[in-house]
Amino acid sequence: MHNPEYESLITAWLDGQLSAEQRQRFEQLCLEDEAFAQQVETANQFSLAAEQFEKMPVPAWNKDSTWFAHHTKAPWWQLQWIPLASMAMSVAAMVMVLSGFHVQVNDGQMTLGFDRGPDEKQINQLVAKRLDEYKESNQLLLTQYMDAVAKQQQESGAQLTQYLLSSSRQERREDFAELVKFINQQRSDDQRFYARQINNLEQEIDAIGTTYSGLGRPLETSHE
Amino acid sequence: MFEKRDEQLVSKAQEGDKKAWFMLIKRYEQAIYHYGIRMTGNTHDAADLMQDIFISVFKSLASYRGDGAFKGWLFKIAHYRCMEFYRRKRPQQSLDECVEQVAEDVTPEFGLLSDELSKQVVVAMQNLSVAQKAVVELKFFHHFTFEEIAQQLGLSANTVKSRLYSALSKLKLDLEVDNA
Repeated sequence: MHNPEYESLITAWLDGQLSAEQRQRFEQLCLEDEAFAQQVETANQFSLAAEQFEKMPVPAWNKDSTWFAHHTKAPWWQLQWIPLASMAMSVAAMVMVLSGFHVQVNDGQMTLGFDRGPDEKQINQLVAKRLDEYKESNQLLLTQYMDAVAKQQQESGAQLTQYLLSSSRQERREDFAELVKFINQQRSDDQRFYARQINNLEQEIDAIGTTYSGLGRPLETSHE
Repeated sequence: MFEKRDEQLVSKAQEGDKKAWFMLIKRYEQAIYHYGIRMTGNTHDAADLMQDIFISVFKSLASYRGDGAFKGWLFKIAHYRCMEFYRRKRPQQSLDECVEQVAEDVTPEFGLLSDELSKQVVVAMQNLSVAQKAVVELKFFHHFTFEEIAQQLGLSANTVKSRLYSALSKLKLDLEVDNA
């Protein structure tokens, strides 16, 4: 019958891991419990029998059948490190390309380095180039601006001239009309004046005529 | 002259040293052969199983990293090959139930064993299931701890302990019968 305590004690005993307390219980059970003692006895017997197991000679067998060619030493061109080295070199080459690795030889000195931007000369050239471009673009803009201003001024002048011409012509026309009106008024006034003079004169003449006719003599003019 | 350690022989065998491989075989062939006899109950199957085990070990040699003792690794593979052997032999039967037919298989074969006690051990073991046999074999004949056996068989330590305990009950009966 399965007894967890017995199982635990026997297996601990077989592993040589009995604690002092377990050992005490183990010995107690060996003395008191026949079934447990029998289990221990069996384990003991089997353990002894295993140690004394007869060493039977191994029959001749084909050991070569366990050896396969894939474990034989490969020639150097098939060694595993070659593809690995090849991959490592490829990775290194990619890194060199991507990081801008360069080799520079100046006056017999070789410099290895990564591309971290242009040197001073290149910077100066770049700055000069950018400045030239800036100047050219500025000049072009200025020229365009001046052309536009000149054109605008020309247009404004033409408009002003046109305006002046048209306005002075109108004024002169109005002046002439005023003058003609004034002259006409003047003439009208003159006519009225002369008419009044004539009337007055006529009346004087008439008065003089009447006077003379009363005397029975023809009227003689005093203007003679 | 000092003997080379297992790991050194394995390393050389991994590099293609056939001599080192044969030295390893020589070192363990008897243990594996006896394992085969006790597990299968006859010498023919034991010889076949031994060859099968060493072929499997050689094929797996590249994956051996030397994390544990070579002997433990070797018996782990031996156990898998033995389970495979039983599956091929009796595909319909569970390994927990699979018990050899003692009377049929053992008698003619064990004439080769001259020691009576060894014969009794083999006969007694054939009444165990394959799963129990594996535990008894590793515990009593190779002295692995329950933790190591559990690791090799891919079981929990408690299961291994239970299997051994129940195996002891059967062995007890057989030894009593044999002694009677």
